[in-house]
Amino acid sequence: MTSFQWQSLVPILPEITMAVGAMALLMVGVFRGDKSAQLLNILSIGLLLTVLGLILGITPFTLTTLNNALITDSFSQFGKAVIAVGLMAALLLSHRDLREGVMGRFEFPVLVLLSGIGMMLMVSANNFLSLYVALELQSFPLYVLAALRRDNAQSAEAGVKYFILGALSSGFLLFGISLLYGFAGTLDFSLLAGTLMQNGAVPGAVIGMVFVLTGLAFKISAVPFHMWTPDVYQGAPTIVTSLFAIVPKIAAILLFLRLLNGPFAPLTPDWIQIIIFLSIASMIWGALAGLVQQNIKRLLAYSSIGNMGYALLGVLAASPEGTASVLLYMTIYMIMTAGTFAIILSVTRHGEGVESLHGFAGLSKTSPAKAYALAALMFSMSGIPPLAGFFGKLFVFQSLLESGFYIVAVIGVVTSVVAAYYYLKIIKIMFFDEQQESFDDAPSSQARYFVAALSLAFVLFFIVNPNVLMATTRIAAQSLFG
Amino acid sequence: MMMELWNLYGMQTLMMLLHMVVLLVSVLLGVAYLSYFERKIMGAMQMRQGPNTVGPFGLLQPFADALKLISKETIIPSQSNRAVFVLAPIVFTTLALLAWSVIPVNAQWVLADINVGILFLFAVSSMSVYGVIMAGWASNSKYAFLGGMRSASQMVSYEVSMGLVIVTVILCVGSMNLSDIVTAPRPWWMQILLFPMLIIFLVSILAETNRAPFDLPEGESELSGGFMVEYSAATFVLFFLSEYANMILMSAITVVLFLGGWLPPFGIEALSIVPGVIWFVLKICLILFFFVWCRATFPRYRYDQLMRLGWKIFLPFSLLWVVVVAGTLIMMDAVP
Amino acid sequence: MLATLAFYVFSAVLIFSAAMVIVVRNPVHSVLFLILAFFNAAGLFILLGAEFIGMILVIVYVGAVAVLFLFVVMMLDISFADLRKGAVQFIPLGLFIGGVLLFQFYVLFQSWQIAPSAMLNITTPSLSGEEELTNATQLGRILYTDYVFAFQVSGLILLVAMIGAIVLTHRQRAGVLRQKVAEQVARKPSDVLEIKKVETGSGVE
Repeated sequence: MTSFQWQSLVPILPEITMAVGAMALLMVGVFRGDKSAQLLNILSIGLLLTVLGLILGITPFTLTTLNNALITDSFSQFGKAVIAVGLMAALLLSHRDLREGVMGRFEFPVLVLLSGIGMMLMVSANNFLSLYVALELQSFPLYVLAALRRDNAQSAEAGVKYFILGALSSGFLLFGISLLYGFAGTLDFSLLAGTLMQNGAVPGAVIGMVFVLTGLAFKISAVPFHMWTPDVYQGAPTIVTSLFAIVPKIAAILLFLRLLNGPFAPLTPDWIQIIIFLSIASMIWGALAGLVQQNIKRLLAYSSIGNMGYALLGVLAASPEGTASVLLYMTIYMIMTAGTFAIILSVTRHGEGVESLHGFAGLSKTSPAKAYALAALMFSMSGIPPLAGFFGKLFVFQSLLESGFYIVAVIGVVTSVVAAYYYLKIIKIMFFDEQQESFDDAPSSQARYFVAALSLAFVLFFIVNPNVLMATTRIAAQSLFG
Repeated sequence: MMMELWNLYGMQTLMMLLHMVVLLVSVLLGVAYLSYFERKIMGAMQMRQGPNTVGPFGLLQPFADALKLISKETIIPSQSNRAVFVLAPIVFTTLALLAWSVIPVNAQWVLADINVGILFLFAVSSMSVYGVIMAGWASNSKYAFLGGMRSASQMVSYEVSMGLVIVTVILCVGSMNLSDIVTAPRPWWMQILLFPMLIIFLVSILAETNRAPFDLPEGESELSGGFMVEYSAATFVLFFLSEYANMILMSAITVVLFLGGWLPPFGIEALSIVPGVIWFVLKICLILFFFVWCRATFPRYRYDQLMRLGWKIFLPFSLLWVVVVAGTLIMMDAVP
Repeated sequence: MLATLAFYVFSAVLIFSAAMVIVVRNPVHSVLFLILAFFNAAGLFILLGAEFIGMILVIVYVGAVAVLFLFVVMMLDISFADLRKGAVQFIPLGLFIGGVLLFQFYVLFQSWQIAPSAMLNITTPSLSGEEELTNATQLGRILYTDYVFAFQVSGLILLVAMIGAIVLTHRQRAGVLRQKVAEQVARKPSDVLEIKKVETGSGVE
């Protein structure tokens, strides 16, 4: 037997730090009780900053470690950094609600951290076994978080629904993996790619891939596997919804990219059809169903479904440019969502967050700053130049046109115009509708304003120097095709 | 053809059957006299006589009891779930006797010398909860149901720490074969290291066999007999028998895990002129005396106290001890 | 020959009890049949020579998981017959979907093929061949070396499940009297008892 090599742990140092930190924080919480929730939240943000430092500090050589279970490259480094930032934003947004009451549970930051470990491992998974365990580690805490307000029927429903559909999707995923294993005799991504390359599109392998993609499509809530999203977004406590909207989908989309361009690259003609269908259906359904929503969380759920459709468009290109555009799109989308939720969370009435769309009427009179910020974010979401959201879509469509998917691109543009209607409707309600009842006067938490300000600054000033982010995404995308 | 089969399996099977019968008869005799000695010891501790009329010193009392119970009518409540009601004592008894197949009574004296003997024992003892829970449910009586529920949660709770105790022993000896566990060398420091585990194990087997002070599933003063309340005559005999057989079994497991099985005590070579079986039985008797002693000494635990002891004291301690034992083994470079 | 016989017995009982799990009306009987199914599956594992997995299956599934199932089913008092009433109307739909799936699998496995290089891809875990290793040793050697990552992450998943169960069910109830053992033990007679010499006929003040 060979002795253990400590060096093999270096590439996953960030995750190990995070896991050890999360367990240490759990112990602090267990002994100090729920009153330490906010303290733990701050410590978690500190931990995430450390982890971010470690992620950026490790030189991005392409390495596999732990018996090829994991791979670290620029792509995973980028993904992990974005996830760490997203988790920090989510924790900042939740800070105030953790002070007391039903949401004042010290387990909240710990569960977020544990889920974060799962997401980070997902983006550096290098075989199906580690993919599966990482995916489960990512999902489990989210199921719990969705049901965190357990005395509330909607929250409990959200938790159960999310859990059952999540389990179903895991089943699909596992079944697909077993078919692939039955075909190729390996779980390793590169070996599988080699085997598929030699044998071409064999029915068994293709069906296995379809099941794997189905399982993952549940996680990014692409139509027709989106049924859980609106209910879960609406039912879960708003801080948890913001977490759902900000982070997990990045990990899942990155996993899509790694799978489709790695082990499934030899099957490109087959998966392109699936991705075209998923993205067109998501864009159309996200745009149309969003039109009639009266609840802002539900609306954002449909918005996220639609946005996943656009992200998948970039996947279609199967090229470094397309991948880079997806990374850029997801980063911009994450930052916009964080800002949007920061403002939505800070608008309260009688101490409760406003959820009804018409509840935002007259926001421009009482707190114009919030109204203008939200308006800017909504303009950006609907893709109006020169805001950041426009560039996200621009590069996706550009990569799409380069690869010759003209019709899909046209559908994308049309649906994005349709979807713009509901983003603009929010603005119209805020600025032109009569106020029904006054909002709370007390200012919301500093942390939320901080997140909103950062997000707004990014959205407004992205155009000033877009090259930094674009260059990074390009390097990350290159390493995937390396 | 028949001759071939006979040569292949016949003799072997016959010997096997003979061994089984010998083992079972000894266990059943053990059960009979365990009940007798329990009453005698309790009597002595409470300054009474105990059974003394049937036969010399009351030695035939167990048989008198058995005959009386068997000759009575078996009552099956009309509202009960008949199939499960009858199945429960059968399952319970089968499991209590099944486990004996892997217990090594002496060097090479074991019916099935399997690699995972200790796991087999653990599996069988963890299944015995079904007899109780089925009886409790099928009786369709509140007392029985409460008893069944109590017993299920109690047995599941204490199995956790029992499992960890077994893990520490396996760590020390490096085998799951029961004969290997007995014969594996144990330096003095290992004995000291395992001593706290012996204490935890002794308490856990009290809970696992539903004996005082953890006899809440029966709790005659609150549940008037618990899961057995509706059982009478032959079905009751089966429960009674397997409860005592379980006690002997658990004692045997303790002896195998901690007290050196059939080996003479304290490793004194001179004592090995006495056959191993005798030492084995004597050691079992020691643990059985502990069972009876506890019953005569301690009042019944309250339910929350029972759960607290299992989950908040035994579980963390045995978890910690697994780490301590593993660490010490590595430190002493004694990993088997 | 005995092994073959045992295989058929175990498999037949396994299939029978698995079918009974979904056929019988009484949910408690369902769980009991489920336990029987687990038990026979463990038997099949042992026939395969995987005695460790067989035993662990019994300990974990029969000894712990199914006990909790039984617990819940007994406590819940759900009339499963009522639940099934509504299900009858979906039978045609279910049959249709099942039929389509069956057909698809038929088509799939008709043309099923295994990659020629699959045999090369299958990694045989690196075990030293000189000694006869028991099941548990072999599993341990693979689990703690080649698959240590999956093993550790599974541990984290279980931790999450534990936290989740506690978060979602544990409540601090007000007004519950708890035993404080340390206080009980630390209590001395002098804290609670006061011994007074009482003069005859005067009483205690």
